[in-house]
Amino acid sequence: MMDYAGRAAAADTYPKLLRRNAREFGGEIALREKDLGLWKLFTWSDYQARVRDFALGMVELGLGRGDVIGIIGDNRPDWVAAEIASHAFGALSLGLYRDVLDEEAAYLLSYGEARLVFAEDEEQVDKLLALADRVPLLRHIVYSDPRGMRKYDDPRLMAADQLAALGRARADREPALYDHLVDQTEGEDTAILCTTSGTTAHPKLAMLAAGRVLRHCATYLAFDPKGPDDEYVSVLPLPWIMEQVYVLGKGLLCRMKVNFVEQPETMMNDFREIAPTFVLFAPRVWESIAADVRAGVMDASPLKQRLYELGMKTGLAALANGKPSALADLLLFRALRDRLGFTRLRSAATGGAALGPDTFKFFQAMGVPLRTLYGQTELLGAYTLHPEGAVDPDTTGVAMADSIEIRIENPDINGVGEIVVRHPNMFLGYYKSPQASLTDVRDGWMHSGDAGYFNDVRQLVVIDRIKDLAETARGDRFSPQYIENKLKFSPYIAETVVLGAGRDALAAMICIRFSIISKWAEKNRIAFTTYTDLASRPEVYALLQSEVEGVNATLPPAQRISRFLLLYKELDADDGELTRTRKVRRSVINDKYAGIIDALYGGSRHIPVDTMIRFQDGTTQRIRTTLRVVDLAGRATAEAAE
Amino acid sequence: MEQALEVRGVSLRFGGVRALSEVSFAVRAGELFSIIGPNGAGKTSIINCISGRYRPTEGQLFYCGRDITALKPNARPSLGIGRTFQNLALFAHMSVLDNIMVGRHHLLKNNFITGSLYWLTGARREELEHRRKVEEIIDFLDLQSVRKAVAGTLPYGLRKRVELARAMALEPQLILLDEPMAGMNFEEKEDMARYIVDLNEEFGMTVMMIEHDMGVVMDISHRVLVLDFGRKIAEGDPATVLADPHVKRAYLGEADDIVTDPDEAPVPAPAETAA
Repeated sequence: MMDYAGRAAAADTYPKLLRRNAREFGGEIALREKDLGLWKLFTWSDYQARVRDFALGMVELGLGRGDVIGIIGDNRPDWVAAEIASHAFGALSLGLYRDVLDEEAAYLLSYGEARLVFAEDEEQVDKLLALADRVPLLRHIVYSDPRGMRKYDDPRLMAADQLAALGRARADREPALYDHLVDQTEGEDTAILCTTSGTTAHPKLAMLAAGRVLRHCATYLAFDPKGPDDEYVSVLPLPWIMEQVYVLGKGLLCRMKVNFVEQPETMMNDFREIAPTFVLFAPRVWESIAADVRAGVMDASPLKQRLYELGMKTGLAALANGKPSALADLLLFRALRDRLGFTRLRSAATGGAALGPDTFKFFQAMGVPLRTLYGQTELLGAYTLHPEGAVDPDTTGVAMADSIEIRIENPDINGVGEIVVRHPNMFLGYYKSPQASLTDVRDGWMHSGDAGYFNDVRQLVVIDRIKDLAETARGDRFSPQYIENKLKFSPYIAETVVLGAGRDALAAMICIRFSIISKWAEKNRIAFTTYTDLASRPEVYALLQSEVEGVNATLPPAQRISRFLLLYKELDADDGELTRTRKVRRSVINDKYAGIIDALYGGSRHIPVDTMIRFQDGTTQRIRTTLRVVDLAGRATAEAAE
Repeated sequence: MEQALEVRGVSLRFGGVRALSEVSFAVRAGELFSIIGPNGAGKTSIINCISGRYRPTEGQLFYCGRDITALKPNARPSLGIGRTFQNLALFAHMSVLDNIMVGRHHLLKNNFITGSLYWLTGARREELEHRRKVEEIIDFLDLQSVRKAVAGTLPYGLRKRVELARAMALEPQLILLDEPMAGMNFEEKEDMARYIVDLNEEFGMTVMMIEHDMGVVMDISHRVLVLDFGRKIAEGDPATVLADPHVKRAYLGEADDIVTDPDEAPVPAPAETAA
C-alpha cells in the first residue's frame, strides 16, 4: 500500500493532488460515466484537462480568490471537475442537493454569495432562473447538458464546453498560469462549504480545508484500506460529506475508480455492471434492498421460494456459528450477490441511523461485510467504524485512529452523556457565523449533540440527538428515534413518528411500506386502490397491530406504544417532513399534524381528515379519509379489527 | 416559409361513407401542426393518406413539392415521413432497443448476404453507427432504464414513448403522431408534450399531430386544423381556432346558441362517439 499520509502532505489540495496523479498516472482510468449505453472513460489526464479548462475559464470570467461557486445536479464528472476547478484558483465550492427546494437554494446561494453556479441541465437551470432577484450576486450559470436551453435568452447562461473553451484559450496565451495558481493553493485554506443536515433550522455551512480532508482520508484508508484496484459507484448525493470524502478525498488519494451511473433510474443495473468493491448506503437503502428481495421472493415460483427459505435458514444458522455455509452459498447467496451487484464487494458500510439487526444479519449471511460508521460533517464525516471481526449492530464501532479523541461529557449513572470529539483535521468553523462555531466547538472539542455511551468493549453506542430525548408527563425519559428505529425494523413499516413528550403515554403515527404491504395485500386477496386506501384497510391495521405489539414486548413498560394510527400519506422531504437525509423533522410534523395528534391523545377513535396534498409537479389532490386509532391499552382493540 | 406538406382537395370514400370531403391544408417546414376533431371526424384517415395506407379517392398530396399521392407506403419513409400509431404497433416480444433499431431498417445498406461477412463489408461499422443514433434517441426520450426490457412488458405510457422512439429512428423530416398522449396520466402527458416540443425545436422535425387533449394541443401547437365529419371547419393559430364559433359547437360541445353563418352548409349534429 502507498504512503497515503505522505502523499496527502506532499500535495495538500485537490488541484495539487490531481496534477500529481495526472503526471504520474496520466494514462490510467480515474472516472467512468455511463453515457449512451456505454461506459465512457476519463483518465487522470482527461480529468486534469477538464479541471484546468474550467478553472481558467472562470478566471477569464473575472472570478477569483474567496468567491463562492455553487454546484447542483446529478453526480457526473463535470460536477467533481467543477469543484476541483473552483479550488484551483482559491474559490470555495458549495454543493447543493439536486432536489433542493427553491427556498433553500435561494437561502444558500444568497448566504454564500455565490457568483457562478454549475447547473447540470434544464431542470436545474429552471430552478435557478426561477430564483430571479433573490440571488442578486449570481452572474453566471454554467450548464453541461444543452438540451432545452434554446428557449432561454438569459445573459447569465453559458455551456460548460464554452467555459472550457475560454479556459483553453487562456491556457494557450498563458501556459504557466494554471500551475502558478495551483501552486498558490494552501491545504489549510477553506476550500469546501459543506451543508449540515439541519433538522431544525436553515442548514449551516461548515468550512472544510482540503488538506484536512485529505489527511482525514489517509487516516480512514489506514483503517479501511483501498487502492487503485478498487471500484466505487457514486450514487450518494455529492454535497454530502461522505460522498465528498469518497469521490474526491479518497478518489484522489488512493485512486480508486469512481463510476457515475447513467440515470438515477438505472442505478441498480449500472451498479451491477460495475460490481463495486466498496459501498456505503443509508440504512433505509439497505432495508429497501432487503425488502425488494423479500417482495421478489413472494412473486417467485414455489420451488424458488422453498430454496430461498432453505438457503436463508442454513445461512443464518451458519452465521450464528461463525462459519460460512457452502450449501447456502450455492443455493442462494451466490445468485443473490450477483443479482444485487455485490459479487466483488470487499467492504460495505451503513451509517446515519440504526439498521435493524435482522437486516444486518441478512446481509452478513449473504457475505456482504457490512459495518456501521458514525460521524458528523463538522468532523469530516465518519470517524468511528467497526473493526473487522468485531461487528455489533448495536454499536458504531471504534475511533479510526488514536488521534481521534472521543469522550462522553456529563455521563449519567448509566454512562450516557453527550458525545464530544476532537481530531486534528476538523472543520474550521461555520461560514460567516463565528457565534455558532463557538457554541459547538469549545476548547477544541466538537459537541456533537448526540447522546451515547461506550459499552464494555469500548465500542461507541449512539442513542439519539440529545435535544430529541423526550420526557413524558409522568417523567419517563425516552428516545423517540430509538423506538422508531425498532418499529422500522419491521418490513411493513416505512416511516414512523413516535410522540409522547409532555403527554401521559407514547403514541405512534405509522406510514406503511407500500411495496411490501401491496404485495401482501395481493397475496391475501385484499382489494385496494391507492396508498391512502390501503392504509385504511382493517386487515392492514390488524397486521400492523401485531408488529407494534411485537416491538412493545421488547421495550420497558414506560416506553411502550399505547396507541397508533396509520397515516394517509408517506412522509416526504419535499413537504419538509423529513430532511434530505431522511431524518424526521419533529417540529414540522408536530405543527402539520397538530390536529391529528391532539385527536389521537383526545381519546378519539376515528379522526376525520380532509386535506390537500401537493405533488412534486405542482398538482394537488384532495384527500378525504378517516383515520382509525388503535388503542393497545385494550379498550378499542376489538373495534379496530372490525 | 417552405411547405413541408400540402393536402389539396383530398376526399376519401369507403363505399357510401365519406371519411374526408375535399380537405385542403398545408404544413410548413419546422411547424408543430395539430389536427383536432370529434371521434370519427377523419383525423386518422388523413394521417393514413399521408403515410400511404389509404389512397385518396380524389385530390392530391404533395411532400416538399413532390406529388406523393400514388407513392407506395414503403417508399415514403426514405422521403422523410415517419409515423406512430394510435393503437400501439410495437413488436411485443422484442427488446426496446431492437424495436427502435427496426426504425433504421430503411437506412441500412448491408443486407443478409453482405451482413454475413461482418467485418469485410463494413456491416460492423454500420451497426455501430446505427446503434449510436439509437442510443441518442434513447437518451433523448429517457428510455435508458428500459433499454433491454421486452417491449410488451412495459406500461402503456412507456410503450407509447418507445413507439415515438422508433418513428424518430427513421430520422424523418415530417413526423406524424397519431394521438401520442391517449390513455396517459397527467404526468406522462406533460413529459410527452415536452418531448414533442423538443423534437420540433431541437431536432428541427416538422410535427403533425392528432390529439384529443385540448389543453396540450393549444399549449404547444403553432397552428391547429379542426375537422368535423370529414370536413375542415377551421384552421389557424390556437387562439383563433378556440374563438371560432363552429369549433365551439362541433368540438367543444357547446350548445347551439350561437349565430350560424348562413353561407356555411349546416353542420350535422355530432353523433355519439362512433369508434
